[in-house]
Amino acid sequence: MARLLTAKEDRRRMLAGLPFPDKVRAVVRLQRMVAPVLRARGREVRVWNIEESA
Amino acid sequence: MERTLRVLNDLERAGVVSRYAIGGAMAATFYVEPVLTFDLDVFIVLPGTSGALLTLSPLYEALRAQGYREEKECVNIEGVPVQFLPAYNALVEEALAEAREVIYEATPTRVLRAEHLLAIALQTDRAKDRERVRLLREQASLDSDYLATLLVRHGLAL
Repeated sequence: MARLLTAKEDRRRMLAGLPFPDKVRAVVRLQRMVAPVLRARGREVRVWNIEESA
Repeated sequence: MERTLRVLNDLERAGVVSRYAIGGAMAATFYVEPVLTFDLDVFIVLPGTSGALLTLSPLYEALRAQGYREEKECVNIEGVPVQFLPAYNALVEEALAEAREVIYEATPTRVLRAEHLLAIALQTDRAKDRERVRLLREQASLDSDYLATLLVRHGLAL
């Protein structure tokens, strides 16, 4: 269990170290995942429609 | 998001805003793991507003003239809902003045310093702000001396 928690923390630190544009793309992916759930709850959300480069 | 930032830079060059910097969850994301948000908070200083009543009308008119429409409290600029937040107290004014110059892809922009983001979160003190404080303390490289002085100056404490 301790190993799992450490691995999880390591991943979060890795994510924190990503370049800003990569983090923005990750945020948009999060938006896409969560938007259907929020809309089902009656919340209006808009997934960003931004250019996605590699 | 780069096209959005170019529009913000154009607004500043044209004098529609005196200065801007990214704040809120996207600014925090610059320093920590990606955080879910649906809008881009942009703190601004409006021209000629020292002691005057703040109005965003000239800003919204300038954006409408370029085809960017308001959507509730945001303006959709190149696919990103931007919420403009005029500097509303001394802490935010200072945060804007000291914001970091960064390059996003090939476009310069500004992001509030992590220490100011933390202080603003302490000041606002909603549940999600307390979570932001926790994340910044865990993952951001904070200048502890700078933060300590900043907190004292604005009457805040961790």
